[in-house]
Amino acid sequence: MIEITDLSKSYGSVQVLRNLNLHVATGEIYGLLGPNGAGKSTLLHLMLGFLKPSSGSMCLLGSSNLDSVRPQIGYIPERQRYHTRYTAREYLRFIGEFSGMSGSRLADKVDAELHTVGLANDADRVMGVFSKGMLQRVGVAQALLCDPALLLIDEPTSGLDPSGQRDIIDLLANLRDRGHTVFLCTHYLHEIEHLCDRVGILAGGKLATEAIVRDLRAPGGSVIIEVDAISTELRGTLEAMGRGVTCDLRTVRVRQNTPHIQAMVLRRLLDAGASIIALEPMESPLEQLYTKAVQADTSPQVPEYQASAIDRTTSPLPVNPPPPAPRLPSEGDTLLNELLRRGSEQEPEQEAGNREQETSADRGDP
Amino acid sequence: MRTLRFTGFTLLEYIRSGRFIIEVIATLIVYFVFLRRVGLGMSAEYFFSVTGIYTPALTLYSTAAFIGIGDRPQGYVLLSRGVSRANYLLGIFFGTLVIVSGSYGILSIMAAVFNRPPDLDLLGWFQGTMPLLLNIGLLSALMIMLSPMVFATSWRLLVLGLIALAFSSNFIGGTLLEALPAWGQALLRATQALLGGPLVPAFYGFQLAVTRDYAASTALVNLAAQFSLLLSLLGLAIYAFSRRDLIFSHQ
Repeated sequence: MIEITDLSKSYGSVQVLRNLNLHVATGEIYGLLGPNGAGKSTLLHLMLGFLKPSSGSMCLLGSSNLDSVRPQIGYIPERQRYHTRYTAREYLRFIGEFSGMSGSRLADKVDAELHTVGLANDADRVMGVFSKGMLQRVGVAQALLCDPALLLIDEPTSGLDPSGQRDIIDLLANLRDRGHTVFLCTHYLHEIEHLCDRVGILAGGKLATEAIVRDLRAPGGSVIIEVDAISTELRGTLEAMGRGVTCDLRTVRVRQNTPHIQAMVLRRLLDAGASIIALEPMESPLEQLYTKAVQADTSPQVPEYQASAIDRTTSPLPVNPPPPAPRLPSEGDTLLNELLRRGSEQEPEQEAGNREQETSADRGDP
Repeated sequence: MRTLRFTGFTLLEYIRSGRFIIEVIATLIVYFVFLRRVGLGMSAEYFFSVTGIYTPALTLYSTAAFIGIGDRPQGYVLLSRGVSRANYLLGIFFGTLVIVSGSYGILSIMAAVFNRPPDLDLLGWFQGTMPLLLNIGLLSALMIMLSPMVFATSWRLLVLGLIALAFSSNFIGGTLLEALPAWGQALLRATQALLGGPLVPAFYGFQLAVTRDYAASTALVNLAAQFSLLLSLLGLAIYAFSRRDLIFSHQ
């Protein structure tokens, strides 16, 4: 679907991309992660033919003639740059006409995509009054209008508020079923975690490392468990479990977390009657991968903790990476489920107790 | 066909932006100041002299405004769809042409209705209008070619330098010219003649619009030269635009 070989791009003496090699298989959702200025947008613009490569080659949808395949590519730019003097419907109609569509087919398609992105009720409003999130929805609709085989997405949530970001991520996640191949550039780790099958990290103009996102979701790194209170006795018990477990008044930190240690800590907390408020990774595996890749952008290395995180120079990925498999519950998950179950069982009892107290108070009972 | 669609898209955007009001107001001012001439009457020569100066001035403004609309990151989405780079540039060119020609049309209609030159019939109007519109096209094509999205800065400076050299006979002469060695004078005169050549059709076109003298064959030759120059400038602009890295100005 996307085959990039030894691609380089320079602006004068500034080299933005250096001998980049990249492969994205059909149907895959690939995320390219990198800091600002890493060359992500440059790479997209090279794929779209806006820029000419200094050297190297690109093959998209089986063709190295980018002009011929461009009608099959949908592009969502960053920063919601659209012609805001048009209504959403007018704009999409123009985009459809430019793409060779016409008549009732175009009208139906415009209506369908406006519905898909949740703008059916705002279709006839001028886009100048749209929020950034709504504008980005228009961007998604215009990209989908021609049923593209390949979607190129550049920083889809850039400049959006948290609610707008969540909406766009949900919208893009729902596109998974439509079978597009997606190439997503972003510097937000959570977008990669939510949307992508595979991630590549661009640093110093090179693909520093790649990984399968599902593998990065496995328990790893360190977790922090927040509870309502930890007694001195419980603290001693927990810290005796190993050097990696440390506590203060309300939190337990488990460094070098494993499902086994996590399960033991959770069980002790449960048995001691502690209310668990949150369990979060202190630093996600993807964040670790990203940090390592960016810090060592001149000498890419295989991350130590993930066997599936692959350095392109030593071990290329299979041509067709496996589809994401459902995550199997670990021992820690089972305990969490038990927690949730206990919580839901306790809530009605507490509510009943509370109601009884309120009723007694109303009656004036002591 | 896509060029026409994109021209329509750009024109509608331009009209909705309200910028066309500038053209309308400028046209009304030119009419009331220069062409109304209550009690004085107006000759065809006067009409074409005024419009022959006004329309190029308006072309400078309108082309700059259309280039401003085209040279925005919004263009990336359009170019990622079926609009080619040639469509894109021609859409901007034809959009400008429609607006400036429309303004000229308004002036002509107002003059015909309220202060018609007695020596100007419809055929004469066409004869004067043809070289005038070609000059509008020439200037617009030159501006588009010299815009930042088409030519890199170094090329722009080079072309502007050549144009300045072509006009240099106006300010390099007399004692200044005599101060140069003989070979320098010869080289300068040859360069001025060579570079001034492409400007001849434009200047002669203005003269042709005013006189509408088609008796000599040079008139038709000049129209052909104007048209060829217009095609050359547009072709060069499209060629340069299609080959360069596309980096729109950010807003």
